[in-house]
Amino acid sequence: MATSSNPFILADGKKPSCMEMLQSILDGEATPEQKEYFKKHMDHCMPCYKSYNVDMTLKELLKTKCCGGAAPEDLVAQIKAKINTTA
Amino acid sequence: MEFEDAPRQHYTEKEKQEIFNNEFMPHINSMYNFGYRLTLERDDAKDLVQDTYLKAYRFIESFQKGTNAKAWLFRILKNSFINDYRKKSKEPSKVDYQEVETYYNSDEVDRQITPDLRVESLKDMIGDEISNALNSLDVDFRTVIILCDLEGFKYEEMAKILDIPIGTVRSRLHRARNLLKEKLKSYAQSMGYK
Ligand SMILES: [Zn+2]
Repeated sequence: MATSSNPFILADGKKPSCMEMLQSILDGEATPEQKEYFKKHMDHCMPCYKSYNVDMTLKELLKTKCCGGAAPEDLVAQIKAKINTTA
Repeated sequence: MEFEDAPRQHYTEKEKQEIFNNEFMPHINSMYNFGYRLTLERDDAKDLVQDTYLKAYRFIESFQKGTNAKAWLFRILKNSFINDYRKKSKEPSKVDYQEVETYYNSDEVDRQITPDLRVESLKDMIGDEISNALNSLDVDFRTVIILCDLEGFKYEEMAKILDIPIGTVRSRLHRARNLLKEKLKSYAQSMGYK
């Protein structure tokens, strides 16, 4: 594949590594062209394919396992009370 | 610091209340989770979040209505954590940034693109393994994962919240994830996966 068509190539002409491309994809920082390119790249790059699945799973798990808790109810009341006494 | 560079807005008392209630308060749960993940103590998290909201109110005229309130609040909380909390607890930053940059720029990264962790073993972590592994990371590594994976901030927003260049956001995130995967790999091994 011609490297000149790689939309991940940086302004300084440096060719990004698999890991750098994967990271952009994973974190939603890639352009539509980059996403398209990476999809094809995964067809012939086993490390990227495997890592993509692991990294995506981990990212989703982090979100479901480590967020979603509510702040203590008295915290909201305390903040509002302080604001109203200082305002 | 975070309040100096912004052009000063002028709000009536009513507008201030509206911004506070409609733009700031909706982020209270994310803010509390951030505070908790940084301090790892529920009471400290409450104090930190309360301080942050009081500061946000005091400096509300540095905030431009309708802009990214969540990023602005996260930045204040992060700075309060570093300047007030961390100083008090005297926990030094253990991250060797020089090493991080070198690591990221070396050729070794491609060979070791991911610690050998499998999707199946991850999916079997139904308890607190993921959360505990995250909490066990050094605070600077923990922070980038919280901002990116838990809260969905873009690299550019993270760079502003943390006052670091985007390249550093990327490299720190990469290193943080590898450390997290190392932890999870040892959990997986203890659960009988190879
Ligand atoms: Zn690849």
